[in-house]
Amino acid sequence: MPFCPPAPTLVLAALLVGVLPAAARTPAEKLAQQADRLLAEELGASPGELAPRCDDATFLRRAYLDIVGDIPSPEHVTAFLLDPAEDKRAELVRALLDQPQYGQNWSRYWRDVILYRRIEDRSVIVAAALVPQLAEMLNVGVGWDRIADKFITATGDIQENGATAIIAAQEGRTEEVAAEVSRVFLGIQIQCAQCHDHPWDSWQREQFHELAAYFPRVSLQQVRSPVRRSFEVAVTDREAPRRRQNDNRGSTEHFMPDMDDPQAEGTRMQPKFFLTSATTPLGTRDAERRATISEYITESPWFAKAMVNRMWAELVGEPFFETIDDIGPERAAKAPQTLEVLSQGFADSGYDVKWLMRAVMATDAYQRECRPRRTPDATPMTANVAQRLRGDQLYNALLTALGIEEELETNRGRGGRRQLNQRAQFNVAFGFDPSVDREGVSASIPQALAMMNTPRFNNAVRARRGTMLGELTTEIQDDGALVDELYLRCLSREPTAEERDAALAYRVSVDKRETAFEDLLWALVNSAEFAHRR
Amino acid sequence: MPLQHQIDVGLRGGRVASRRDFLRNVGAAATAATAAGVLSWTDRVALAASDLRRRGKRCILLWMAGGPSQFETFNPKPGHENGGPTKAISTSVSGIQISENLPRLAKVMNELAVIRSMASKEGSHPRASFLMHHGYLPMGGVKFPTLGANVAHQIGDASSELPSFVRIGRGGQNPGNGGFLGVDYDPLILASADRPPENSRPTTDRARYERRLGLLKNLETSFGAVEGADVVADHKKLIEASSEMILSPRMEAFDLDREDQRTRDAYGEGQFASGCLLARRLLDFGVTFVEVTLNGWDTHNDNAARTAELCGQFDQPMAALISDLKQRGQLDDTLVIWMGEFGRTPRINGRAGRDHYPRAFNVAMAGCGVRGGQVIGQTSPGGEQVTDRPVSPKDLYQSIYTALGINPDHENMSLSGRPIRLVDEGAPVDELFG
Repeated sequence: MPFCPPAPTLVLAALLVGVLPAAARTPAEKLAQQADRLLAEELGASPGELAPRCDDATFLRRAYLDIVGDIPSPEHVTAFLLDPAEDKRAELVRALLDQPQYGQNWSRYWRDVILYRRIEDRSVIVAAALVPQLAEMLNVGVGWDRIADKFITATGDIQENGATAIIAAQEGRTEEVAAEVSRVFLGIQIQCAQCHDHPWDSWQREQFHELAAYFPRVSLQQVRSPVRRSFEVAVTDREAPRRRQNDNRGSTEHFMPDMDDPQAEGTRMQPKFFLTSATTPLGTRDAERRATISEYITESPWFAKAMVNRMWAELVGEPFFETIDDIGPERAAKAPQTLEVLSQGFADSGYDVKWLMRAVMATDAYQRECRPRRTPDATPMTANVAQRLRGDQLYNALLTALGIEEELETNRGRGGRRQLNQRAQFNVAFGFDPSVDREGVSASIPQALAMMNTPRFNNAVRARRGTMLGELTTEIQDDGALVDELYLRCLSREPTAEERDAALAYRVSVDKRETAFEDLLWALVNSAEFAHRR
Repeated sequence: MPLQHQIDVGLRGGRVASRRDFLRNVGAAATAATAAGVLSWTDRVALAASDLRRRGKRCILLWMAGGPSQFETFNPKPGHENGGPTKAISTSVSGIQISENLPRLAKVMNELAVIRSMASKEGSHPRASFLMHHGYLPMGGVKFPTLGANVAHQIGDASSELPSFVRIGRGGQNPGNGGFLGVDYDPLILASADRPPENSRPTTDRARYERRLGLLKNLETSFGAVEGADVVADHKKLIEASSEMILSPRMEAFDLDREDQRTRDAYGEGQFASGCLLARRLLDFGVTFVEVTLNGWDTHNDNAARTAELCGQFDQPMAALISDLKQRGQLDDTLVIWMGEFGRTPRINGRAGRDHYPRAFNVAMAGCGVRGGQVIGQTSPGGEQVTDRPVSPKDLYQSIYTALGINPDHENMSLSGRPIRLVDEGAPVDELFG
């Protein structure tokens, strides 16, 4: 996964046409001010309720983790703190968005969004293509609408075209693909109406199956090759002799099952988009069908809102709607005008994700200090919220703090069984579905054990020749300075006076200097603060 | 291990023994061990407490992820077109037949109660799996605890160094966690029963490890003060629970190599067999709820062959588990549940598979006062409809909690201060206990 295959240059060149700046583009920083004003009006928080602006060190670590998914080096911390420039926060955000790790960090995020909902386990092989290709598009600045279109209209071998991920993860099943496309790109979960009319919304069962009717001709097939095990997203435009129940092969039209008689053929559905009631004729070829629904989706105001809601939740710590991917006209937003303005700005920017990140990260709402997650009756968005690091972020942070390189090779275990590389193992222990409520994501004993006892990390914590700590203990003779250095490395800040005293007291209580600092480093990477972005 | 052996003997002989007798037994065992330098005084107190708890009820959930076919397991329909090629065989209970795929379970049918009339409306994996794991459908704003978490919360041993709730294997879709009960009731998830939990060996000696923990605790202050009091509190709990567990002599609970070969042979081979044996072993060490998952039941194609193979994976271990518990005198206090999220369609589809069918499916139970040797409910000749005694998932949950001595009407407070009952509808299936 970490290896990037050569960029698909031709494809990108074709896509770049959409990157040209849109005419009505608003400067991100200007929009941020407007959003803050609206937010204050809409939520009516008293000044006393608002958390103060976070200090520079906190902002630096937060921005690093949010954009590039890693922590800054001690040198970066010092340089940023000493920089007298007024606009250094905005400049930092711009500079980080230009790093290739920006695309990598967020393409891993989207990999998780898509693959955590997979119903076909074997679809995980799509990740090897998905991560580098999406990273490239994000880094180049391809608009989110263009990216969505690639996913919705994807075909081909899933190890070559990463945009097949949504279809592959849902095994090409008509209803599931439709539901996921709606969830991921519109934030609307209409699939509950799959079996019965939606209990809380006005979505009807028919409306869901009309959406599904855009996808019946898509299917996931095993690639027929003796030398290659893979799947491809295939298209069926030819009339099959006879439709079969639950057949995974594509069929030319979608049928809504009869609830009372699951064996019956069901009702043939005409493709119709539930938000606008626009229809597409029966018999339309797949390419046109999916291009049409892609257009309907990306032109819907909910397309921009879904992305803004999600990014706001990731960056500020709380979505505008209760749930990150259960939004839509049936739901009430906490600050609808703020969301509207941001969404309009995002659309006007040509759905430029970097623009959106710059806008959100320039708001006061983003730059406030963190507080524990609010109680349900407290005013929303008065502070940022400390977020647990995702598996990839935590792994990167450990590598950076301990000064070690990523272990790339995939080891062969006993009996030649293929074992996951270290990053993948870490993701197994620490990964979570990014779309679920962060409160519902619980830390687990295996995670604590992985942090405390993984042999490789414990070796890296030791102060001996060739390790980071070994060098530091030789280089820095003063104990206080070494404590500071370790805090900078791990938590991107200096210790408080009490923390320094506590660390030094511990140093004195232990005979060997090396031992004491090994223990301090171990404790720092095992702290709650290390595992969170605040 | 002699200590464990003595406690087992004490338990077996004394299921109705008085609390004082029991304490004396545990005390004697622990004193012997202390003299040998194995256990400290605190270990001994903890041991006594958790072993008292062991007389309480426990539960093993055998989760068939994907939706097992009723026709190829507990409700064969030989002779009917819908039944497919699968034959029925007689069991140790006259008049009850189950599928030929389950010859060993047929021999312990006298301990098993099979509900053939489970009926629900949920036909998608995530929702149905959620429902059958929680007794509720997913609902925005309420984080329902999963069955294991609720059981651990109600009757688990909070003082044990081992978690009260262990899940072996991925629990299918939406198996749930501690929900609003918090991290204390999240399952400890083991990827494999054949290996101890990963990274469970401290990389330094114990004294230094404990010193490090002390330092860590000492440093976790400034972050918690303002920004993440909740986060730090949870993190602390987790570090403590993890450390307590791996420093505990009870870690041997995870070591299947300590089971004798005869027992291992009885359970058979394979991941699921190891999971069943580990589940029983974990209960011996004071774990209250163990969930063991067998994946692969989503047999949309080639159903007959695939289900036969899957039955081969659970028939022997499940039968051995029931016999083993019985032999140890533990079956009366241990509820074994076999279930998945739904059943499969009566009609066999064009690819020789069966699709999702929640309208009539099976659950099997044993132990904990459940009267074995009976079948509850029935379906039409072709298995399309429940024709007698429909049992809803809520009824099932009422029955499970009742069997475990837990009041199904018990109310917990959700995070938003809303009272949530363990089960909000339905009634226990009285026939199970009659």
